[in-house]
Amino acid sequence: MPIIESEGLRIEVNEEGFLAHPEEWTEEMAKVLAKAEEGLDELTPEHWAVVRFIRGYYAEKSLAPMVRKMCQATGFPLMKIYDLFPSGPAKGACKVAGLPKPDGCV
Amino acid sequence: MSRRTKSPSGVIDAPLDVAAQAKAREEGRPSVRDGRLKTYEPGANVGRFLELLGRRVSRPLAVSLTACVHCGRCAESCHYFLARPDDPTMTPVWKADQIRKIFKRHVDWTGRVAPWWAKAGTPDGDEDLNRLKNVVFGACSACRRCTFNCPMGVDTALLVRFTRGLLTELGIVPEGVFNVSRDQWETGNQMAVTETDFLETIEWMRDDLRAELGPGADIPVDRPDCDILYTINPREIKFDPRSIAHAARIFHAAGASWTLPKWGWDQTNFGLFSGDDALGAYVSRNLYEAAERLRARRIVISECGHGYRSTRWEGYTWSGYDQKLPTESIVAVLRRYLEEGRIVVDPGRNLEPVTFHDSCNIARSGDLVEEPRQVLRRVCADFREMHPNRQENFCCTGGGGLLAMAEYRPLRLEAGKVKAEQLKATEAALVCTMCHNCIDGLGDVIKHYHLPMRVVQVLELVSRALVLPAGS
Repeated sequence: MPIIESEGLRIEVNEEGFLAHPEEWTEEMAKVLAKAEEGLDELTPEHWAVVRFIRGYYAEKSLAPMVRKMCQATGFPLMKIYDLFPSGPAKGACKVAGLPKPDGCV
Repeated sequence: MSRRTKSPSGVIDAPLDVAAQAKAREEGRPSVRDGRLKTYEPGANVGRFLELLGRRVSRPLAVSLTACVHCGRCAESCHYFLARPDDPTMTPVWKADQIRKIFKRHVDWTGRVAPWWAKAGTPDGDEDLNRLKNVVFGACSACRRCTFNCPMGVDTALLVRFTRGLLTELGIVPEGVFNVSRDQWETGNQMAVTETDFLETIEWMRDDLRAELGPGADIPVDRPDCDILYTINPREIKFDPRSIAHAARIFHAAGASWTLPKWGWDQTNFGLFSGDDALGAYVSRNLYEAAERLRARRIVISECGHGYRSTRWEGYTWSGYDQKLPTESIVAVLRRYLEEGRIVVDPGRNLEPVTFHDSCNIARSGDLVEEPRQVLRRVCADFREMHPNRQENFCCTGGGGLLAMAEYRPLRLEAGKVKAEQLKATEAALVCTMCHNCIDGLGDVIKHYHLPMRVVQVLELVSRALVLPAGS
């Protein structure tokens, strides 16, 4: 599997850039993934609100949340999620939050 | 197998990974327990494979298995071969020969009498079956471009799907395909969206729609006696409901009578990708039954390539259902609305140059070719074709379920070279497609080859061009 090396971290990801070992996720890794996969130089408090919600949801249910839940929890309108994460909720936000690749046509 | 060719791409020799299957067995998943979903057991799989092969070969398959004259025309129609012209294992004929030689050895008389002459062969063990899996799942997007260019009428993609079906029956299947099939069997939709989550998202979309268009606007669920039963791709409800909002705006403007069903709304169908006709039948039947239950007059499929092919064409056969209602794509409905003057559009709102990518399952396998073009010419100021186009267009790279199989991504992107050149030559800013797989396939190609383009769908462009009547 490919390795992303940055900021002194060695992160193993799958062919699509999702974490190979989701349980090893840290906030430092999120920053590296955001830069490498989404081209985001910095994660703002708004990014973190989405990322932390997804992380918590995943910890509880081993599942990626619906975008509805992301908006409900953060109070952001739908379009805001796309502004924050250019690749969208699944390939952008869930990836930065260290989830494995969601199953299906995504 | 005798005379083993090592593939330079590296894909064909990838090992079998059945971790997801072991986990599903351990969890006692219902679909595994009752045998709808098969899991891999090491051992005597070759015998079972040969038995299934002999039993399932139909007449059209036998034609494709025997009619090939090895002329090589298919090679230049395949985007894998065009991207890797020095790699013989990328030609459709080589890929088809991997199943063809087993057929010749075990079913056809030529290979039994003179195996050396018929180039017949037999799999040695599970390792060979796994190599076959990597060929039919990993090195072919089942786009059927070679089929259309074969002078002998050999349908290589049909052979690929057939072989996928045999392997799926043995659990020799990519993890992604296994997981999605499991979810579709167990929850009726490929992303395991619960009914509560489905209804909650629709309610949220409805609130937003009413905020824009007033209290008369609606996204109905399970309303009986409507003209249209609208069915969607689960990613629309789970991750990207913008397309549902676009459809709802347009239906509202056209004064359409429509509804989503609360069960039977997933028009995608992994049976098409895995070759499992039983799954294909189950999923398509859910839709046909929903239409009957709600007494809808037609089933309309949102923009999705394989969903369109499965629901509109293949599902009728798989399910054996006496399906009399018309089934059509939302794009055909949009075209009708424009023709009948039920919606008014302003192409001045889509000024960027737009090109159109034909989804394989819609153009080649679905015969829906001119309708999207007629719509785009009405809603865009600058529509331009890419070349080749229509039934001769190249795959987005994501066909055949490849987007759900991350392990084959490097080869898939390499094979995207032709698509990237095609896109670049149009100098368009937007590439429009009516398939969710193509959105991601094209998106990956655009990112990988650094193209200055964005992918859009027909609904998005129509919704943007839509002129709403004053006061609404």
